[in-house]
Amino acid sequence: MKFNQFAILLFVTTCFSSLKAQEFELGKVSVAELQEKSHPKDTAAVAAILFKKGKTSYDYSKSNGFVMTTEVQTRIKIYKKEGYDWANQKVKYYLGNGSKENVTFSDAITYNLVEGKIEKTKLSKDGEFDDEVNRYWGQKKISMPNVKEGSVIEFEYTIKTPYVGSPKDWTFQASIPVNYSEYRSFIPEYYTLNTNFKGFVFPKVTVEKKAKSVLFSTMEREDGAGLMRGQTSNYTQSKLSYEETRTTYIAENLPGMIEEAYVNNIENYTAGLVQEVSMIKYPNQPLKYLSTDWNAVVKTIYDYDDFGLELAKTAYFEDDIDVVIAGLNSEEEKVAAIFMYVKTNIKWNNYYGYSCNDGVKTAYKNKIGNVAEINLMLTAMLRYAGLAANPVLVSTRSNGIALFPNITAFNYVIVGVERSSGLQLLDATEILSVPNVLPLRDLNWFGRLIRKDGTSVEVNLTPATLSREMIIMNAVVNDNGTILGKLKRQLTNHEALLFRQNNGGTTKDTYLEELEHQNNDIEVEDYERENDLEVLKPIVESYKFKSTKDFERVNDKIYISPGLFLGAKGNPFKQEIREYPIDFGYPNQKRYNISIEIPKGYAVETIPDELSIAAVDGIGTFKYDIANTGNQLQISMTTEISKAIVLADYYQALKEFFQMMLDKQNEKIVLNKI
Amino acid sequence: MKIKNLLILFCVLAFLSAQAQKNEYETSLIADSLKENANAIVRLNQIDITVSSQRNMNIKTIRVITVLNEKGLSSIDAVENYNKKTSVKNIEALIFDSFGKEIKKIKRKDFKDQSAIGGSTLFSDSRYVYLDYTPIQYPFTVLYESEIETSTTAFIPHWYPVSNFFVGVEKSVLNVQYPTELGFKKMEFNFSGFNIQKTIDTDIQLSYVATNILAQKQEDSSPAFGTILPKVMMGLEVFHLEDVDGRAKTWKEFGKWYSDAILAGTTALSEETKTQMRTLVGDERDLIAKAKLIYNYVQQKSRYVSIQVGIGGWKPMLANDVDRFGYGDCKALTNYTKALLDAVDVPSYNVILYGDRYKKDIESEFVSMQGNHMILAIPDGKEYVWLECTSQSDPFGYQGIFTDDRDVLVVKPDGGEIVRTKIYEDKNNTQISLGSYSLSQNGDFKGHITIVSQGSQYNQKAAVEILQPTEKEAYYKQYWGNINNLKINSTVLSNDKENIKLTETAEISAVNYGSVSADKMMFAVNAYNQYTRSVKRIRNRKNPFEIQRGFSDLDEISIALPQEFAIEFLPTNFELKSKFGEYKSEFIKKDGSNLVYKRSLFIKKGMYSNTEYDEYRLFIEQVSRNDNAKIILTKI
Repeated sequence: MKFNQFAILLFVTTCFSSLKAQEFELGKVSVAELQEKSHPKDTAAVAAILFKKGKTSYDYSKSNGFVMTTEVQTRIKIYKKEGYDWANQKVKYYLGNGSKENVTFSDAITYNLVEGKIEKTKLSKDGEFDDEVNRYWGQKKISMPNVKEGSVIEFEYTIKTPYVGSPKDWTFQASIPVNYSEYRSFIPEYYTLNTNFKGFVFPKVTVEKKAKSVLFSTMEREDGAGLMRGQTSNYTQSKLSYEETRTTYIAENLPGMIEEAYVNNIENYTAGLVQEVSMIKYPNQPLKYLSTDWNAVVKTIYDYDDFGLELAKTAYFEDDIDVVIAGLNSEEEKVAAIFMYVKTNIKWNNYYGYSCNDGVKTAYKNKIGNVAEINLMLTAMLRYAGLAANPVLVSTRSNGIALFPNITAFNYVIVGVERSSGLQLLDATEILSVPNVLPLRDLNWFGRLIRKDGTSVEVNLTPATLSREMIIMNAVVNDNGTILGKLKRQLTNHEALLFRQNNGGTTKDTYLEELEHQNNDIEVEDYERENDLEVLKPIVESYKFKSTKDFERVNDKIYISPGLFLGAKGNPFKQEIREYPIDFGYPNQKRYNISIEIPKGYAVETIPDELSIAAVDGIGTFKYDIANTGNQLQISMTTEISKAIVLADYYQALKEFFQMMLDKQNEKIVLNKI
Repeated sequence: MKIKNLLILFCVLAFLSAQAQKNEYETSLIADSLKENANAIVRLNQIDITVSSQRNMNIKTIRVITVLNEKGLSSIDAVENYNKKTSVKNIEALIFDSFGKEIKKIKRKDFKDQSAIGGSTLFSDSRYVYLDYTPIQYPFTVLYESEIETSTTAFIPHWYPVSNFFVGVEKSVLNVQYPTELGFKKMEFNFSGFNIQKTIDTDIQLSYVATNILAQKQEDSSPAFGTILPKVMMGLEVFHLEDVDGRAKTWKEFGKWYSDAILAGTTALSEETKTQMRTLVGDERDLIAKAKLIYNYVQQKSRYVSIQVGIGGWKPMLANDVDRFGYGDCKALTNYTKALLDAVDVPSYNVILYGDRYKKDIESEFVSMQGNHMILAIPDGKEYVWLECTSQSDPFGYQGIFTDDRDVLVVKPDGGEIVRTKIYEDKNNTQISLGSYSLSQNGDFKGHITIVSQGSQYNQKAAVEILQPTEKEAYYKQYWGNINNLKINSTVLSNDKENIKLTETAEISAVNYGSVSADKMMFAVNAYNQYTRSVKRIRNRKNPFEIQRGFSDLDEISIALPQEFAIEFLPTNFELKSKFGEYKSEFIKKDGSNLVYKRSLFIKKGMYSNTEYDEYRLFIEQVSRNDNAKIILTKI
């Protein structure tokens, strides 16, 4: 798509009447808007976007070729001081390699009501800042003058970009209420736009077609390939008529987005548009598909030099891999050996992306690479060893959910190995990961596995196996108020991965201090841990403990919690209502087996009742058993969360489930002096 | 002949030393004692500072760091700031593997270059270059070299031979050279117990060598790093800052210079604005009353925006510009307020200080450019009223916990002076809770409470007032985290800014607060104000510990028990006095189903030795144990 090779443009006319006059125009701030003390629908709102209007259109210019222009006009009402941040605005732009984007602010005015009259303060040049953040990105910022509680501010910005393939995303919602949000795209017939909605609010869409014509002159080339190509001296003047599709999206009265706990990425739920050019059809040229469906997206990505070509290279590692797999026969062994080889030899430089940067060869030589270099290299090595390995495109948690076919939907790539036993997923960027236990950043709904023939298939990234925490505890309660015991704890899969990630570099003293503190200030001795680095095995820790805070004596009675210090500390769900899905990351199970010996001279007076509950639709279960024989108590508690992501509709049920669990764990064993 | 022999010998020596050089960075050479508790080892950190004139300073750094694990990465600290007055002349790094073999060379062009804008800063013309290296193995060693040159001599970097917690030091060297006439001075802190030699100390040169310093553990409630570990402050009596020469031996001279060279001419205002201010104060004669009116005007008109351009880091934006734009940073807003006060004949002074929740003094014994914040002082008899001009909501004269109780520099036209800001006394940092609750026969809780907070406790509660409804609810659910199934039915906050007093009233309820089993009910009597922050046990604590602000909480709660139950067990009254504070709880039985619970907790501020820590931990443990004391009821 080299647009600067296009014909020299002389003149553009548009032959349509302007759209009907809009209600929302800059400069027409009303006294009523200035007088408004709080937002009528959300009295706590610190500010509100009264309107935000954007328009994207395509224009030619002689020097730059085809350029996409987006203009945005915004009016914001500031209700409270806490909303002053809305008076500072910034727009990012790409500095790129030569063809940089251009951002200009205009018509930036603050309105105040002073003794019943509207006072306007214009933004002066001193209030505008241009900042080159780094080699790739710059940002223009404005700080509006004279902002007070009650002010209304307005501004417009224009972004001109030579990167016509991906129009800027449009967000209807914000953290403050939005009264009116309108976005229009004016797209010439040469482009087919793929537009998708996200969030829970959908805009009203209207489409109209308009004829447009462009007068231009070309210096046509000898071969005359393409209407708008050519560089010879034949000078002709032509008129090009084309159709422009004008789509208007309008959303009104949008509530402010509220941040909640246990939300993976609030961007996933913010109402907005994501768009991308999916097909290009220039006059007298074949149709070019970019991304119409997942297969087209995948094909486009596969055809990128820094993806498909990199994946095809093998010469650089063949000799080394021959050594690695020498003597290994089973698929299992080969996968394990090659995975280990890549994990330990090539370090991740923390850069995401499904495209290689320096290329697999350089990454291999320097022992460092980005996600694509590491995992495409791994795929190629596994294929070389005869395994059915393929790249799997992923959108990480921070990138949001890949909801619809779109090249920018993905930002990461892992490896899928199709074996008789099922699909194994690998990510060699995390040295502590094992097959099918991916780092948390990868666990985000679905990925797409791309086969050699270019076909693709959806892959569920949610782990199928439970990650477990298993505890066996033996405790002896003494009459003097101390409880002595031994504890053994095992962690598998993601529980083990997270443990290793969090505690790998922690000194023993620091770890123990934290362990003691987190467990009701017990004192720990003879601490031992196994399999710190043997990632295929579970983490196993064992220690002796002394507890003084899990014992209560009232008169002649002793009260103890069956779980001692292991019980849940509180309900993680405190909010009354929930807007967004609850994200547990991965399905998990906690199983505690506890035996308690009661002091001599005491008898068990009461023990809690047994309980077995299940949350609706198989989200989770809790089983609580307790038995008393002689001076021994046997307690077993098993909590299982079977789903990684639970829809907000289940929030109340989930909250109650956790509360019942908590209440049960808080019930005491009562011992009576004989 | 002779010469040739010498040459050969020289070559051999050079070869030998090059050999030695090669193995120097082998990781196995590090003493085990240094590796204990260490994430990184400083093999060498040599800083050579040359002040060649009042307007020129050159700083060369050679730093060799062996990084043992990921947490040690920050010790490399391969970053240099630059701007129009400071240039980075050289910056490069070499990476060695654990055998001391060079594996990578990083040239200047491979360093990242970034603008120094982040967080709340809207604009700054400062930038920095930094090393962005991803290790391919641990341990590894970095040899970092840099050279910067600056015309700013008002700041000579402090020397910290131990650069951070969890870092062992083999050798750290400082060499400083300076012309006699510039009046170089220095001040040493916390050297005792550390192996630091002063090797040269003349009127043109100063050198220190620190060797074999064990890694220091970071422990809870430790005083700040800079106040317990060794440090050398340095400065010049004759210095230069952003095109302005300076000269000061005393705080008086320093203040005079700042006033004349930096602040002069920045407070001019239009006649229109001055007239407006005079109209605003009207016939008011009292200086403080006038200042209140002006401060309120500034709070309504302005907002805080950080812009650091050129001398903007030190010189305030013109008051006239703040008047036009309605925003500025701390210096701009302070200076603007001063200009408005001038217009109505209220004297006021700029104050330079460290703004931080952790109290930090301007080092009064060391005259030099210090501080990171500016506020305004209005003389009121022998005292000052301190104004935080960046806040749109602070009460007049309230210092909260950001600028209280510390040494600051008050800049007067005739010179500077060091003054202590307002101390909020422990006993005045009060929270008084008066309320009641009742329990139903299933243990359901229903209660009403009024909480009045003053002194430094006002500060945190005032922050609750401006929270969004969902955040406010989350705050109260956290505050009363001891109550399960909590429902916040209503909350009202009233902020009495005149008396600096915040009153919260809340109606709350919770099912199953009392846990009922068989015919018994049990619950913690102190529902509203449990001290739940337990103090971590620390093995072999080395650092002193500090309580920065004391407070006093008083609670009086009436409790109505369910009619169907009788009291089986009432916790006993408890009283505890220690050097850290006092605690008292009383359970008073009014009749068969009514109780009154009284509680007081007083914590003193103070600095205590490492050996007293465990005593403090046990004191707090007893407090939280008694706060959780439970009553037992039996069904009648």
